Amino acid sequence: MAPQAEEGGSRGRPQRTHGPMGVAEGPLGTPSAPALLEAHGVEVEIGGTAILRGADLLVRSGELVAIVGPNGAGKSTLVRAVSGLQRPSGGDVRWSGCPLGDLRGRELARLRAFVPQRMPVPAGISVREAVTIGRSSQLRPLSRLTGADRDGVDAAMDRAGVGRFAARALTTLSGGELQRVQVAIGLAQEAPLLIADEPTSQLDLGATIGVATLLRELVDGGLTALVVVHDLALAAAVADRAVIVAEGRTVATGIPAEVLSAERLAQTWGADARLTEHDGRTALHVAWLGSKGVRAP
Amino acid sequence: MTKRFGRGTRGRLSLLLVAALILTALCLPASGQAAPPQRIVALTPFAANTLAKLGVTPVGIGQTLGGNERFSPKLKGVTVLPLSHPNGPNLEQLASLNPDLVFSSKVWAKGNQAMEGLGMDVVLHDPRSIAGALADTFKIGTIVGHKHYARDLLQSMRKQVESASKGTEERPKVMLILGVGRTPFTFLPNSWGGDIVSKAGGELLTGGVTSNSGFERISDEVVVAENPDVIIAVPHANADDIPSLTEYLQSNPAWASTNAAKNGRVYVSVDNSLLQAGTDIARTIRKVRSAYLKN
Amino acid sequence: MLRRSLVLAALLVALVAATVCSLAFGAVKLPFSEVVDILFGNGGSEAQRQIVETLRLPRTVEALVVGAALSVAGAVLQGALGNPLASPDVIGVTGGAGFGAILIIILLPGSIALLPLAALAFGLLAAALVFVFAWSGRNRGSTGKVILAGIAMLSLFTAGTTGLLAAFPERAPSAIFFIAGGLTSSGWEEIETIWPYFAVGFVFALFLIRPLDRLALGDDVAASLGSRPQLIRLGAGIAAALLAAASAAIAGLLGFLGLVVPHVVRMAGGTSSNTYVIPVSAIGGAALLAAGDTLARTLRAPIEMPVGPFMVVLGVPLFLWLLRKAV
Repeated sequence: MAPQAEEGGSRGRPQRTHGPMGVAEGPLGTPSAPALLEAHGVEVEIGGTAILRGADLLVRSGELVAIVGPNGAGKSTLVRAVSGLQRPSGGDVRWSGCPLGDLRGRELARLRAFVPQRMPVPAGISVREAVTIGRSSQLRPLSRLTGADRDGVDAAMDRAGVGRFAARALTTLSGGELQRVQVAIGLAQEAPLLIADEPTSQLDLGATIGVATLLRELVDGGLTALVVVHDLALAAAVADRAVIVAEGRTVATGIPAEVLSAERLAQTWGADARLTEHDGRTALHVAWLGSKGVRAP
Repeated sequence: MTKRFGRGTRGRLSLLLVAALILTALCLPASGQAAPPQRIVALTPFAANTLAKLGVTPVGIGQTLGGNERFSPKLKGVTVLPLSHPNGPNLEQLASLNPDLVFSSKVWAKGNQAMEGLGMDVVLHDPRSIAGALADTFKIGTIVGHKHYARDLLQSMRKQVESASKGTEERPKVMLILGVGRTPFTFLPNSWGGDIVSKAGGELLTGGVTSNSGFERISDEVVVAENPDVIIAVPHANADDIPSLTEYLQSNPAWASTNAAKNGRVYVSVDNSLLQAGTDIARTIRKVRSAYLKN
Repeated sequence: MLRRSLVLAALLVALVAATVCSLAFGAVKLPFSEVVDILFGNGGSEAQRQIVETLRLPRTVEALVVGAALSVAGAVLQGALGNPLASPDVIGVTGGAGFGAILIIILLPGSIALLPLAALAFGLLAAALVFVFAWSGRNRGSTGKVILAGIAMLSLFTAGTTGLLAAFPERAPSAIFFIAGGLTSSGWEEIETIWPYFAVGFVFALFLIRPLDRLALGDDVAASLGSRPQLIRLGAGIAAALLAAASAAIAGLLGFLGLVVPHVVRMAGGTSSNTYVIPVSAIGGAALLAAGDTLARTLRAPIEMPVGPFMVVLGVPLFLWLLRKAV
């Protein structure tokens, strides 16, 4: 159980040690951070088809975990299942030790905020109104918004960087701005864990950088995040830990740079590719037109 | 036989024959149009009952689906044609009776057109007043070739109506309403029921409204302000519904302050006699007087 | 915010004005001071008191309640189904209520006193059937299924109604009153029987305001915030069914309000937030129906005209003007 140093140390983040299975155990010198979410052997069946056949997940407080994997692997289904949006047909999911089945909607809303890939954009709702709706889950059914609630809404908008267009209608926002608003809605819940399902998949480069930076800053500021990511280079750059899901199972988990090795990329994605990091930029080098020696899946 | 008649006799006979033929030919137009219609269908109860009164038996009479029409006992056994919107009778059924004349109503406008297309004569009668009904009785009598009898009948009916409406001691204020609910959809004087009630000595509550159709929905406020002595409802219902309908109308809070409601003079009439022109006009007037107006 | 407050203020003024007019005006001219006296319990002849207390006051209350109920039902359904064309007709209530009323008028005229309850019962039955079918099978409770089931139920009950009318054409005139839609001055009886359904419907709608806002952000966000989207839709359907069936029981088949008033409120106020739209639709709908009914009663007094065209005349120009500005 010798600790292995992380390759990303040049970014100045706290050094992390690893236990068995490459699971991070918290900053050096401190007891390991508590597990906010633990899932074992999660199974999900949709329309008679088994989507998840036993996936595992562990999220500790203060880390940004990226879930990666090929299309159809069940990444979205996994995060939806652990979030309580999709009923699992098997397995064990616990939030800070409490089984998912025992948690009611409002209690769960205080534990996690789910940010979908793209929410429908209703007409006639402003950014502030949308974030206020996010806050409403904290309120008793007919009680009014208090000053503290309004402050909470402002704080959520500022943290997500959308305060400057608080009065604009959602329908007037760009994709990146809308994604930030979605994060703000999640932040308004004041839950310790933010779960985002492919937040950058439909954004252009600039917007992606913006959202990635936002998420990283939030986690550095104390939030915990679980993010499904399509872009492997982005995952490597942003996440503390990566969980690889393929064919409905968790096949690996660990520091992105380590776990997204060339062998893994070949085995799970069938790609001749290599992750590199240099000068603060992370890149995925891919033999796009295929090469000998790598079997297509 | 011809041997006995000499040539002179034959010549006189031929002359006689020709003269007779000419006379007949001259007489034919003088006796009016073609012979009166033989096969008559009466689609309205008014026409049917009028024919019965005139001693004419139609080959077919009409009865609306679910309707309450009353027919003279003389019409028992006559083929009944069910009537439905918008044509009235089933045209094939009607055609199978092969009528030359159909007494119909404006209500079956679409069917009337089709009947004319089939070569039948169609005559419409929709009397909405007693005077109109009497006039139409005469017209029907003329059409079926019983002009003189019709004239006598007309005079006797007139006399009966006059005697039925004589001697009214009071002229109570009457609200006559159509329909099964509590809406004051009132009969105006230019409707059949309105004319009957007026003739029976009632003063119709109209709110000063006039209308071509003979009916109008007036405000309950006007009903309260005008304060009728008698309320008569004419719903489309069955005789056994009368008690519950009377109770329902009697207990209408909107009319609670009226004399009619206070004195329990709320009545329900389901027999069509106030809705449609009938032939027993005098009897209807008498009934209205004794049962409802009490005058 | 200013715009929304102005619109709310304007609608409140309209509401008060419509209420005052509804009490002050009618087929019989009563001086306003007299009306006020009577309302406060003093004086007036028996006929005048009857007019104000038994005819105008309950009718005004009915107009306000039904106007608010139908508008709220429409707003709630538009939020729950995420469809701007949603209205109480879509969930089958109007078709069922119409059938129930016609059934009594034509087949059981002696039981006419039961007409409001029959309309209510069949209205609720139709809505229940719509939800049973929409909740079966796959995609339970999805908007598409609800709308399709609603159309099917509407067709079914309309066919039944048409069949009854065709079989008993003589009795049709009584039925026309109900189908055309309109209020009657019948004292407090109907309200006294039907008010619980309104009350429950309004309370449901009140508790649905925030959940519907959450639903506007999508099923996923709503679930994230602790709501259950299918339950919200079901609750909205129940609220709308109660409000619409109760309205049909009292006022016949009145369209327009449920569909158009919420849109007018959204366009005028510049927001779709249900915290604003639902209560303000109630106010706007109440004002519109009270005003329309007053006009229907007084324009050609003493003749009472059906209220539908008057609501349309008042509401459609405003709706079109707002539409031009908004789109």
